[in-house]
Amino acid sequence: MEPDLDDAAAVDRPWVVLVWNDPVNLMSYVTYVFQKLFGYSLEKATELMLDVHEKGRAVVASCGREEAEMHVFRLHEHSLWATMEHDGPSS
Amino acid sequence: MALRRRFVAPVEAVKGGWRINLDDEERNLLLRLMGELRALITGPDDNELLLRLFPVAYPEDEEKEAEYQRLMREELVASRLAAIESVSRTIEPANAKALLDEGETIAFMQSINAIRLVLGSMLGITDDEAADAADETDTPEHHLYDFLSWLLEWTVRSLSPT
Repeated sequence: MEPDLDDAAAVDRPWVVLVWNDPVNLMSYVTYVFQKLFGYSLEKATELMLDVHEKGRAVVASCGREEAEMHVFRLHEHSLWATMEHDGPSS
Repeated sequence: MALRRRFVAPVEAVKGGWRINLDDEERNLLLRLMGELRALITGPDDNELLLRLFPVAYPEDEEKEAEYQRLMREELVASRLAAIESVSRTIEPANAKALLDEGETIAFMQSINAIRLVLGSMLGITDDEAADAADETDTPEHHLYDFLSWLLEWTVRSLSPT
């Protein structure tokens, strides 16, 4: 559960966009989508894809809430399992 | 049904666009699947098969999730339907000679993958072990899943920067 924060404190913390492992999406496809949506190099995209595959999830972007929602939407358009949450522990 | 694997790429980047090298039987199969995907997306929204096509954005925040879905779900439905319309046009046997542009090829990729996800749910492919087990299974649905994976792999390859 997220503690009830003052908005002012909450806006300073960025949001992270997470992509979760799933057994259906192909490795090559996930790598391609990361390159296309985030402009990552093949190396960076491959590294993130392997993180998703091996660690179960990876942070693919860290940004403001609106931008994070747009990323999540575009990842969902490509049928990747993406979620977003506030970065780090709240204080 | 004979879904043959040949030594011609089913999707290839050529001068001026992308070409889909599928025969009429395969094109008609994809047209049928697009129709089924459209029916699923426009049907009752409590169908479990929709879960992977419309995932949760805020798993830890019900309020934000409700707001997100209120704002974005329709847009995602519209995006998926637009992609299906595009594919239904470009895959039509009568259009077999026409090249696809990049947007049409991406719509093709997205829709093929959406069908794989739905089929994956139907076949119980919910973790990597189930995926490996599915590789060993020999039913028409598993053949279809493999066919779509093969098609997707080539589509991604044709779109990837070289």
